[in-house]
Amino acid sequence: AFFRERLDLLLLHFIYVFASDRCCFSDGGGAADKIRLIPQDFFAELCEQIIQHLNHKIPGINTAELCQRIQTSGVDINIGDLAKVANTLSFLFSTAARNNLSTEELVTSLGSGVSTLPKHAVQVIRHVWNEQGKAIAVSEDATTTATVGQFVDMKWKLGVAMSSDTCRSLKYPYVTVTLTVADPSGQITDKSFEMTIPQFKNFVRQFKEMASVLETV
Amino acid sequence: MAALRDGDFAALQILLKAPSKDAVRQLCQECFSSPPAALGPLAQRACPGLAVSAEEAEQLVSALHNLTRHVVYRGLTAPEDILRLFPENFHQNLKNLLTKIILENVSSWRNEAQASQISLPRLVDMDWRVDIKTSSDSIVRMAVPTCLLQLKIQEDAALCGNNPVVSALTVELSKETLDTMLEGLGRIRDQLSAVANK
Repeated sequence: AFFRERLDLLLLHFIYVFASDRCCFSDGGGAADKIRLIPQDFFAELCEQIIQHLNHKIPGINTAELCQRIQTSGVDINIGDLAKVANTLSFLFSTAARNNLSTEELVTSLGSGVSTLPKHAVQVIRHVWNEQGKAIAVSEDATTTATVGQFVDMKWKLGVAMSSDTCRSLKYPYVTVTLTVADPSGQITDKSFEMTIPQFKNFVRQFKEMASVLETV
Repeated sequence: MAALRDGDFAALQILLKAPSKDAVRQLCQECFSSPPAALGPLAQRACPGLAVSAEEAEQLVSALHNLTRHVVYRGLTAPEDILRLFPENFHQNLKNLLTKIILENVSSWRNEAQASQISLPRLVDMDWRVDIKTSSDSIVRMAVPTCLLQLKIQEDAALCGNNPVVSALTVELSKETLDTMLEGLGRIRDQLSAVANK
């Protein structure tokens, strides 16, 4: 009886999530409508990334890059919508993990009542959960409490601006940095900005300061 | 892009009607800083002070804009180079005054030009804090130092005009990610020294 009770609650939960309320999409549709647009192999890739992120195997979900490829294949989906689908699925998987759902339990709660989810999506979810779902354990790693973005990577470029429409001979050195950050929901975004050389030197000094404080604290 | 036109120097002589040298100085600065689109309103404001017609004011403002921007574009810093720009029959005193004003301002004008050129968003501020995580819902006791960094980034000045948009990026770094960052920054420094020594 306890078992059924828990399952029914979760079922309601998932229906709520996949209906329009929980995640409003730009055209008023629900997550299920958007999921229907995504070709099966891309959907599988998205689920893979989400599970791997929840398993701390990868730092984040590369929504932007995936969206680019989906669009190139001819599907009309924008990055905002894909991000919301990713969030919905992430919520689905992490809830299932917290409640230790078996594959059958998960599929059952998706299947009944939520007839809107396309069959291929349910198949992918079943497969991914079966393969990797059980491995989502409560993490011992202290850095998982993500309330702000997590730093993933930094790329840089040192350039010299030679000329511009305002100064024919500039010779102005600058540093361009692109920070890759995983936001609290796990989605990866890039942020690029420029620094003058004095700013860059100060930047380095601050980081050294931070590192020495981290050592001694 | 500022190219000096034939009528410009004729228009500049309208400055002879200016009330004072300071008025000329002020006008030069305003004409340099103003983007082409804002020259019209600037001319309207300058009109009464100069006791000229609206058309003359426009021609003058446009000419001053072109002259000052031309000097900065070409990177002229020597008095002879600037004097040489003026035609033979140009009013001597006015020519000397304008050259003097331009020389006074050229260096700060150049900085202004550099600051407003197209670029990626710029870093304007950086704040940080080191915390120790002592507990969480999954781990009761721990002592993990972590760093919170907030970068304030201003979008392209040229796109925002007078209302620059500043966004804040808050990022958490662990000791490992901070070390990665420092390594990358160290490499930039090496490159900078290599370039500086060339």
